[in-house]
Amino acid sequence: MATATTEHYRAYSPKPFTRAERDSVTVVFGGLHWRVERVIQAVLENGGNKAEVLPVATKEDLLTGREVADIGQCCPTSFTTGNLVNFIKKKSDELGAEEVTKKYVYLTAGSCGACRFGQYHQSYELGLRNSGLGAFRMFLLAQDQLDQKAAMGDGLDLNLPMTLGCLWGIFCTDLVQDLEYQVRPYEVGPGQTDAVVKESVEYLYEMFRNRPRRDSWRSITWHLTSSYFTKALREIHRKFSAIEVDRLRVKPTVKITGEFYLQTVEGDPNYNIHRWLEAEGAEVYPAAIAVWMDYLLRLGLQRFEDYSGIERGARLKLGAGRVAQAIYRWNYARLRRAMGDLPHELPNQFELRRLAAPYFNSRLDGGEGDMLVGKALWSYQRKKAHMICELSPYSCMPNTMSIGAMAGVLGKYPEILYAPLEIKGDAEVHALSRCQMILTEAKKRAQKEFDEALAAAGLSLEGVRAYVDKHPEMKRATYRVPHGDAVGTAANLVHHVAQRLGRRG
Amino acid sequence: MPRVLNMWSTHQFWCGLFGALGIDRRNLVFSADTSEEQGRQFGKGRGTVDCCYPVKCIAGHYGELVFGQREKLDIVFSPMIYTVPSMLSGHVARTLTCPRVMAAPENIKGGFIKERDVFVEQGIRYVTPFVSLDEPKLVAKQLFEGGLREAIPGLTPSEMARAVEAGFLALRAFNNSLRKKSREVLEWCARENRACLLVLARPYHMDPGIGHEIEGDLQAYGYPVLWAQYFPTDPDLLEWAFGEDLRAGIIKSPFDIHDVWPSSYSANTNEILWGAKVAARIPWVACVVRLSSYECGMDQPTYTPVQQIVERSGTLFFSFQDLDSTKPAGSVKIRVETITHYLEKYAAAIIEKKKAAMPPGCPLPSQAAEKGPSASLAPSTAGST
Ligand code: SF4
Ligand code: SF4
Repeated sequence: MATATTEHYRAYSPKPFTRAERDSVTVVFGGLHWRVERVIQAVLENGGNKAEVLPVATKEDLLTGREVADIGQCCPTSFTTGNLVNFIKKKSDELGAEEVTKKYVYLTAGSCGACRFGQYHQSYELGLRNSGLGAFRMFLLAQDQLDQKAAMGDGLDLNLPMTLGCLWGIFCTDLVQDLEYQVRPYEVGPGQTDAVVKESVEYLYEMFRNRPRRDSWRSITWHLTSSYFTKALREIHRKFSAIEVDRLRVKPTVKITGEFYLQTVEGDPNYNIHRWLEAEGAEVYPAAIAVWMDYLLRLGLQRFEDYSGIERGARLKLGAGRVAQAIYRWNYARLRRAMGDLPHELPNQFELRRLAAPYFNSRLDGGEGDMLVGKALWSYQRKKAHMICELSPYSCMPNTMSIGAMAGVLGKYPEILYAPLEIKGDAEVHALSRCQMILTEAKKRAQKEFDEALAAAGLSLEGVRAYVDKHPEMKRATYRVPHGDAVGTAANLVHHVAQRLGRRG
Repeated sequence: MPRVLNMWSTHQFWCGLFGALGIDRRNLVFSADTSEEQGRQFGKGRGTVDCCYPVKCIAGHYGELVFGQREKLDIVFSPMIYTVPSMLSGHVARTLTCPRVMAAPENIKGGFIKERDVFVEQGIRYVTPFVSLDEPKLVAKQLFEGGLREAIPGLTPSEMARAVEAGFLALRAFNNSLRKKSREVLEWCARENRACLLVLARPYHMDPGIGHEIEGDLQAYGYPVLWAQYFPTDPDLLEWAFGEDLRAGIIKSPFDIHDVWPSSYSANTNEILWGAKVAARIPWVACVVRLSSYECGMDQPTYTPVQQIVERSGTLFFSFQDLDSTKPAGSVKIRVETITHYLEKYAAAIIEKKKAAMPPGCPLPSQAAEKGPSASLAPSTAGST
């Protein structure tokens, strides 16, 4: 039986992180992919902070996460909890626990949404406490609350320029990542793409670190109008142009969808699925963070749609929100143009909503909600991918719901190649072999589509290759092959050559 | 209507609403309580994903409605309940339901349309409006546009609005009557200096197939059982329980749970946390029983804080987690015996200790007060509906 104390239980509340500590304290963060993390590090440094990125979570982290927090966590909670605890433990071994609590603070995103995401900190806190690191300072950045000073102190001044920096960092790295995945499967010199990407991200790091400072509102105009970022992206485009590619390698395109963390990270938390698919002969169509944020905007604005005609001012707010969303999308398109329009465009949120509507209500939030269903249908109907690889975390709440609704979609479109993979962190063989079976089908489809393209154009593979050899610009990674009737890159190239030859592809 | 999830805390709203729309109560059919047999007979092969037990069971309820009714049904009404009214409005941020609760009707539908549309085949209209019950301004529009306009020919928006009002009135009246009964139980406990138990669970754990009738078994031993969702919210009692924290600026209202749970956005979770706080302060709540379903994601982060809040005060705490992962009948029996054993042994001491820790001025009648007839009401007053 427990002994009574007069002190009631109170939730963890960290000591504030003050401005005076700024030079001696390092802000730790993580949970995304390395490109965007590196750039956000630059943004924090540009704002006068010291910053460090957590290493990519590993299987050991998963085990630690399961051990130190309450049972029944979703797989991303286990990975991220263990990741943080092991990182802090390691630092404590080096510096001593007291020193670590003085020298580091951890920053993580929160949410006011329906799933467990906004409660991660509860597991982090428990994990740290169970590891004897209860005094460590951890701060939750609420997505819906810009002024964080009251909660965390003024050590990290998360002002408008910094927020915009993070946003632009996400845009730029999304674009780089997208192009990278279009190029690597076709590179002639192995490793060339990785080298260019690394160089490009370091270049972006410098650009963001040295970003001119503007005060609050002027900063918005500057970010939207300056050629600072477009120039940087053009330079990256130029770096990519040095890569030689062979786009006649027939590969299925695999769209990654799923829960936010799992579709974003690249490492053990999702069985290194991006690299695994590439090694298995696929071209990966990665999930952009910008798409997720566009979805959040749409979701937020739907509230005003509901209140239109019921509450005064709702229509006005909806209008203003739509303008903001249009600016968001215009800006992404502007930056994309600087990359030769090569990375994929942002899918239209209204189209995704319309496609998903018969199967999943657009008001249901948590996870990707109806977007998960919409993206699968969009990829299929708009010929964006041969196959959808859906990353579904073990014990996730919203994701299981959307995937369940996919049963209705597949009933109507049994031809969609859809691979929902339950990611547990340690049941890799099972998940990957399932994926491989569907990938085999996707490969057959890509090949069939390619053969049909050749037949329709009356060309042979050798004929197309000879044509490309004669036009070396077509071998550049930055050569734009129009997305025609086909899904796959190779088949689209055949159609394109046929058109250039004046044949109907 | 399937008798599932948050229909358990809102069914009076729906009865009130349809009543006001002129639908005879006898024409409102609920599926039976959850049972394994129901799932086997009607839900088999229609589950779409592996998920928590309460959601998984819905396929059985739908199946029962579609295939198991002797009378022909016209409509299966299964709202997607996005938010629920909560007694904790004010200093909790949101009143959202679990993402699985809100999306279950869409998810389970998948299993009924994947091969062929079973609803169409059976001549049943499937109506599943999205509804934010904690935003009364929206509800009529959501229901009207979300399927009731087509389902009830001739329905007008103003009729809908009136029906919604009637629904809320019915729900409020029902909740208040249960809270009043809980108050009577507490008063009886205070008078007799007897212990009661508080159940911390989600409303649908009142379904015997989901909650496994644990509270019923406990009641059989003569301990009154209260549910946190129907705990009295009378200002005098809350002032006594939380006044000190309020004056110390730790909380902003008796319903503020920020001191123990900074992420208040899910109504049922908030209520569980609040229930734990109440249990820690009310002396006669000598024991807390926590119920959690198999694979419940919402409960996971709350296990430790809830247990700590309760145990710090010296109150007994028993948790039944993953209730459905194995057939629990045997283990439940053993645990119920353990709980009652501890209660017999320690309840009196717990009550005394907790009383000593509380400020004077308890509004519940003291031992000296006159004994009233409501004492006899106590053992039969579980919050089950
Ligand atoms: S979306 Fe799923 S996996 Fe991600 S945090 Fe929420 S419950 Fe966990
Ligand atoms: S709260 Fe838990 S048991 Fe209830 S639907 Fe959500 S995950 Fe399932």
